[in-house]
Amino acid sequence: MPEAATAVKTVELKILRYRPASDERPAFGSFKVPYTEDMSVLEALQTIKDTLDGTLSFRWSCRMAVCGSCGMMINGKPQLACNTLLRNLPPGPVTIEPLNNFPIERDLVVSVGDFVKKIESIYPYIIPKEPKTVAEGPYLQTPAQLAAYESFSDCINCMLCYAACPQFGENPNFIGPGAMALLQRYNGDSRDGGQQKRLDTIHGEDGVWSCTAVGYCSEVCPKQVDPANAVNQNKTNSAFDFFLRFLRPGGAR
Amino acid sequence: MSERRPYRRPMSPTWWANPPYRAYTLRELTGVAVAIYGLVLFFGLVCLALGPGAYDGYLAFLRSPFSIVLHLLLLAAMVYHVVTWFETLPKTQPKLIVDGKPFPAKKMTDIAIKVGAGCSLVLLLIAIWVGR
Ligand code: SF4
Ligand code: FES
Repeated sequence: MPEAATAVKTVELKILRYRPASDERPAFGSFKVPYTEDMSVLEALQTIKDTLDGTLSFRWSCRMAVCGSCGMMINGKPQLACNTLLRNLPPGPVTIEPLNNFPIERDLVVSVGDFVKKIESIYPYIIPKEPKTVAEGPYLQTPAQLAAYESFSDCINCMLCYAACPQFGENPNFIGPGAMALLQRYNGDSRDGGQQKRLDTIHGEDGVWSCTAVGYCSEVCPKQVDPANAVNQNKTNSAFDFFLRFLRPGGAR
Repeated sequence: MSERRPYRRPMSPTWWANPPYRAYTLRELTGVAVAIYGLVLFFGLVCLALGPGAYDGYLAFLRSPFSIVLHLLLLAAMVYHVVTWFETLPKTQPKLIVDGKPFPAKKMTDIAIKVGAGCSLVLLLIAIWVGR
């Protein structure tokens, strides 16, 4: 093989940095790393941390689009760093920022506390219609019943959809697409009986009604969860519930 | 000691005017075209109630070049509104399971657009037939 006489190919990353102890506000820093054909944005960040600046902070774990930790704005679009290959990005410097619409903790790390609280608020577990003992056997489900909610169970809590949502940007209390996908995962499950309980958590402006069907959340979702569908079909449910609760015994207050 | 000092970046005040949100903003704005078109029809109704003179004036307005250009613009806006609305339609539906599989959103949009176009055509033919 001929000696690789050519200079090593490099790629420039412009990263929005923020170190709360010393920086008044975030500012861009630029790094150049050796480029390889099979390099993901996450690997480029790891190379920077290993060889250029050990203080660079970012989250990651699985490096295979499963854990949902490495979401960030890559050239202005919410994406998973591990799932984005440099070779698929347009030539020139790559701009990297923390996820939009979230408070920045440090560099590319954002606060996730509010999102976790939202997930907790929608009862993210099956509330059986009729409780069964182990002796009575498992809860059965047909493939069609599984298909009714299966895509919503693919959510990896990466929060890309929140970074894509201008209504969440305007109102951080909006329950948002990801938590609604999880809600629909349980509400759509034939074994579940907690629909009313969950519905009660999503009325009003902070519930589904902040959504104006922008739809970008579903476009950026790396798992084709279609969170916009979860939000919008529950507008109908919320509206029905509003009118029908007067007919339910003990429903109207 | 904690160094925490979360920094909230402000949203760009012009987010709605730029991609990827521009198409959405346009879709919402075409709702105004729907309202304008409703107003035009409403004025026709008012003129009809006012008597033959007023109604003839309304018809003359409809035939004016300004009105024709306006109607072409409104039609274009309406078509955009209808197509983008049907693209949104599957997002507003509970998951439709056909033969044990989720019904593809794209197909739902296609069917809705075809039904919409078919209905418009029938309506147009009826209008032409009545107006003969
Ligand atoms: S719905 Fe999609 S984009 Fe949103 S958190 Fe879940 S996997 Fe991520
Ligand atoms: S590192 Fe787990 S999703 Fe990217």
